[in-house]
Amino acid sequence: MFLFNYAYRLKCILRNRELMFWTLMFPILLAILFNLAFSNIYSTEKFIKVNVALVQNDALTANPAFSDALSKMDDLFVVSQTTLEEADALLKENQIDGYIIFDPELKLKVNRSGLNQTIIRGFLDDFLQSSATLVTVISENPAALESGTIAGVYSRTDYLSAVSASKSSPDTTVHFFYTLIAMTCLYGGFLGVNEVIAIQANLSDVGARINTAPTNKLTVFLSSMLAATTIQLAELLLLLAFIVGVLGISFGDQLGYIALACVIGSLTGVTFGTFIAATVKKSEGIITGILIGSTMTMSFLAGMMSADIKYLVATKMPILGYLNPANLITNSFYALYYYNTPTQFFINILLLCGFTLLFSATTYFILRRQTYASL
Amino acid sequence: MMVINVKNLVKRYGDLIALDHFNLQVQEGEVLGLLGPNGSGKTTAINCILSLLKYDKGSIEIYDQPMAPDAYAIKRNIGVVMQNVAVFNELTVYENIDYFCGLYISDKQTRKKLVAEAIDFVGLNDFTKFLPKKLSGGLLRRLNIACGIAHKPKLIILDEPTVAVDPQSRNSILEGIQKLNQQGATIIYTSHYMEEVEQIASRIAIMDKGKIIAMGTNEELKRMIKSGEHINLELLNAEDLDLEAIKAIPDIISAELSDNQLVVTSSRGKNNLIVILDQLKAQHIAIGKVYSEPPTLNDVFLEITGKELRD
Ligand SMILES: Nc1ncnc2c1ncn2[C@@H]1O[C@H](COP(=O)(O)OP(=O)(O)O)[C@@H](O)[C@H]1O
Ligand SMILES: [Mg+2]
Repeated sequence: MFLFNYAYRLKCILRNRELMFWTLMFPILLAILFNLAFSNIYSTEKFIKVNVALVQNDALTANPAFSDALSKMDDLFVVSQTTLEEADALLKENQIDGYIIFDPELKLKVNRSGLNQTIIRGFLDDFLQSSATLVTVISENPAALESGTIAGVYSRTDYLSAVSASKSSPDTTVHFFYTLIAMTCLYGGFLGVNEVIAIQANLSDVGARINTAPTNKLTVFLSSMLAATTIQLAELLLLLAFIVGVLGISFGDQLGYIALACVIGSLTGVTFGTFIAATVKKSEGIITGILIGSTMTMSFLAGMMSADIKYLVATKMPILGYLNPANLITNSFYALYYYNTPTQFFINILLLCGFTLLFSATTYFILRRQTYASL
Repeated sequence: MMVINVKNLVKRYGDLIALDHFNLQVQEGEVLGLLGPNGSGKTTAINCILSLLKYDKGSIEIYDQPMAPDAYAIKRNIGVVMQNVAVFNELTVYENIDYFCGLYISDKQTRKKLVAEAIDFVGLNDFTKFLPKKLSGGLLRRLNIACGIAHKPKLIILDEPTVAVDPQSRNSILEGIQKLNQQGATIIYTSHYMEEVEQIASRIAIMDKGKIIAMGTNEELKRMIKSGEHINLELLNAEDLDLEAIKAIPDIISAELSDNQLVVTSSRGKNNLIVILDQLKAQHIAIGKVYSEPPTLNDVFLEITGKELRD
């Protein structure tokens, strides 16, 4: 039964032209479009390092770990040591992308938002996370001061070390491809919607027919979901192969992590679709409309059309960033690209897993009901 | 043996009462025709019986077991042909039948044989590789039926399987249903076409406003009502007719004149025609064609509810 249904669902999905267009052709077309647009803008322009000023004061001297961490990022940042006045002047003349100051806590000052500013912020967030751990360790366990735990925590700041030479040089256009991949992951939602519609008696006639058969609905659905996920992963593989192989965009060399992000992102996407289809008790058209609308909004907020939006969200409403699966997927790629250690990456992956679980559980509880109030 | 026993079923959609203490007993081997105008609750009743719809009150037993969504032993014996065509647009005729048959029969060899038989049965042999959208309305309906009956169920429930079908396909569908019944299947057949129900049902339940209002064989139902026959007379000098005198004849229920066509409805038995002819002769009315129609299920419906079956 399980494999029988699986095989037929694969057939149905592959022959569904509309579905294949949105989940496979559309992302590939967008990738071509992005590539055309950016090859003109950036082809001659090399990746320019991010210029930051570090304001010298007593608070900074008291935080040698920070200067240390920053200096290790010399592949990414050009750091100038300045006074506050100098930093302000440099920023005004757009000589620097922003400056960092301990006042007494860590602050970033910029006068516009953009990709470079996002990169500085990402670095600071990362640093703050490790220093928060530090504070906790000291206050809860003063004895650790002597026992050498601190040394361990300090060494974790290793992860702030710069993009190593083995990695490809950063490329600002890559950002758009990240959001494109994130969008494609979420477009797996179309496949999820399709499976819920096919099995719910109140959403389709075939669903009604399946519900009259002597088979466990959830078993059938599980097998259908497996088919949808199989197709979604194959499509992402094709998209990645196309972006890397045909368009020649490089994502660095951490393919294992990238694959993991795609798998988890796809699961989030597919279950997002089932979640929408199961909870929105409306016609197929309305369900699809809501799916397209919400994925587009999420991709937009994650910076698909402009990196500035991403920065704006990260600074003005960070919670929105964490509640946005598209942003989480993009961020996990960022983490891989710009920082050497996987901590940031795994935080995003973990949040995505949380969303997947939430979506699946809701879908399960709604699909579990076997009789309908109305058809 | 009792195949289906539905007692006091009540189903509401909000304020609307779609089934109002609906009762139905179906015996093994019969073709039960469920006849009622659109909106009378036929589909709602079928969907409740199939455990697709929640209902507010009542009980449903199939083969003496309470029906439930996970009563797989019961469901295994049921074949369903829904009112709407329920097939996958992406699958061919053969694949669709194979898929739905596969929900009942897991053995591949058995299924292959059953699917071939079902295709034969509905006469879709020339179309096995067609996608549903390439089929005409009639052929699509036949596919819909094949998907519901390929696993050879003992009980077959068909909800208006001939809606929007050309007369030729309709006849072949009706013949097919009779054949299934001869092969031993118990059939429930809903329709709002009285001719169809008269043609194939061994017992008829007439439904209105969520209730069964009359039940019996075709003859029993027609005996239940007063009117015996409709006598149609073509009058050559209709302008001279005294209609009231005709209406005054005992055993005449109604008499209506339109153009030169006089329709007299009389009660059963007696020599009504002779009495009417005598009266017309006395009025010096010349008569053209004369013919008489037996009562229809529409008359039954009209007499019980006061309205036409189809309006
Ligand atoms: N999903 C629904 N929501 C609200 N009312 C419904 C729904 N389905 C059917 N009805 C109403 O219930 C009544 C019975 O409908 P139905 O069972 O489809 O009748 P039939 O099959 O005899 O044409 C009708 O008045 C119809 O409008
Ligand atoms: Mg109906």
